[in-house]
Amino acid sequence: MRPPSTRAAIPHRELAAGPIVWLGIIVTTCLLLVVSQYILWLVVPVMIAIIAYYILSPLVDAGIRRGLTRARAVLIVTILLSVVLFLLGVMLAPKVSEIARNLPDTVASYTKTANNLFENARRTLSHKVPLLISAPPAPGSTSALSASANGQPTAAPLPSQGEIVTNVSDLQARYSGDVLMEAARWIPSLLLIPFITYFILLDGPRFKRFIVQAIPNAFFEKTLYLFYRVENQLRAYFQGLLTLTFLDALCLGVGLWIFRLHEPFLLAAIAAVMAWVPYLGSIGGGLLVVLVAAHDFPDQPWLPYWVIGLFVGVRMLDDFLFLPLTVGRSLHVHPLVTMLMFLLGGAVAGFAGLLLVMPVLGVVMVAGQIIGELLTDERILARHRHAQLLRKKRARADLFDGWDSGPGI
Amino acid sequence: MRFGLPQTTNPRLQLLKNVVLFKDLSMRELAMVNSMMHERRYIADEVIFDEGEEGQGLFLVLSGRVKITLPANIDQVLIELGPGAFFGEVALLDSSIRTAQARAIEDSQIVALFRTEFYSLLDTHSAIASRISFQLAKVLAARLRQAVLTTARPHHEAA
Repeated sequence: MRPPSTRAAIPHRELAAGPIVWLGIIVTTCLLLVVSQYILWLVVPVMIAIIAYYILSPLVDAGIRRGLTRARAVLIVTILLSVVLFLLGVMLAPKVSEIARNLPDTVASYTKTANNLFENARRTLSHKVPLLISAPPAPGSTSALSASANGQPTAAPLPSQGEIVTNVSDLQARYSGDVLMEAARWIPSLLLIPFITYFILLDGPRFKRFIVQAIPNAFFEKTLYLFYRVENQLRAYFQGLLTLTFLDALCLGVGLWIFRLHEPFLLAAIAAVMAWVPYLGSIGGGLLVVLVAAHDFPDQPWLPYWVIGLFVGVRMLDDFLFLPLTVGRSLHVHPLVTMLMFLLGGAVAGFAGLLLVMPVLGVVMVAGQIIGELLTDERILARHRHAQLLRKKRARADLFDGWDSGPGI
Repeated sequence: MRFGLPQTTNPRLQLLKNVVLFKDLSMRELAMVNSMMHERRYIADEVIFDEGEEGQGLFLVLSGRVKITLPANIDQVLIELGPGAFFGEVALLDSSIRTAQARAIEDSQIVALFRTEFYSLLDTHSAIASRISFQLAKVLAARLRQAVLTTARPHHEAA
């Protein structure tokens, strides 16, 4: 008969963090965001390369399964990635350049459309809810122009046509060069992406083993296990996110194509990518497409509402069908924490903070949970102290022999 | 013409070649498995794993000696293992908890093959992984047979 154990078996616990660990995670994320905004040129390509690693590693594995060596599989996948990026760059460069050149005109035109759209919506609603009639029309809208002509109050004094033209020319002179310069400044950084991705794909496993070597023996098995759990979680998250983006873009693109919008799939892809930013991104993407619909088809006043309907439909498909199928095993961050982190990220690091907050939070959360898990396991800590004592004893052996009985120094 | 340092035989590969689990693998295949392993050095009396922990993988003794004990009675050694022996192999198959404690008797050099890495090997190099699995199954079958015989012997003796 097996003798009873003196120590109760340690039950398997789910990875979960307490309030102190969460506080540490939030503070560390904010600090990293503050630092990252100064080396954004490096942080952005590294972050994209890590995402690319998680997305491309199944292709590398598929190559290895077909008998290729890891080095050859990685080389082929990276060449494919570079070719795709190059073709995308060649296709999009003229369009981006044109957009950058016309940016001030476009912004002014779309702002006016947005004002008119808002005003139309307000007018439509005011028929249903008379209380809204008392609200002044938005500045710059056609109603505001007519209201101003009739001597009715408007929210703000309107600029004359000449002033608008001068402002637009001024904006164009001031910012069009800056936008092009900014785009050119990012090119070397973006060229780093295939290079970094190549080395992460090739040497990632070796690098992990190198990192694991530094972990003390007592923590080794558990750390490695948590490390792999986390990696699988991140891999599932990024691969799921890409699949979700593709499905979103496809559904939206088909819908916008049916509504005969210009560049329906490009718009859908932009909106789907914007949805990577939880909550705010979906709203922003939706507003962008609604604005384009209102701008390009001013003679179809109901089109923006159809587009909103399309967005709501795709959103519901997302929540009830695509999300559980794709990002089901995601990072499981509470919506309140997500919103809080977005506000904090934006406050401490501006636009860069908004972009980077989720990936940085994901990595820090995982590291924090691992450290929290290890530092609260008394048995592992005791084993570590025991191993340290053994090593210390070995190091001190024969150094102090005879000090008690020998001659004084 | 090839550049670079002349290739020497990895001494760890020679040691691994003598492990029963890997005896069907060629040196190239063994190098692939070796690249997935984690090497650790334990000082005499250091605990390698504890009873009750969730097992994550198999450990192989490259040098030194390891004892397997039950913590309730650490003086009673279940088995002593030397170079070429392996332990904790059930963890390669599932995440069940360890049923005994492993502790280094003398300074030991040990390599670990983790379940997640073994599963990845099954996915990418199924031929290699299936050969290891087959040897592992043979070892486990032999141990089961031994256990059955040990349990049955007192009954036979009593009869």
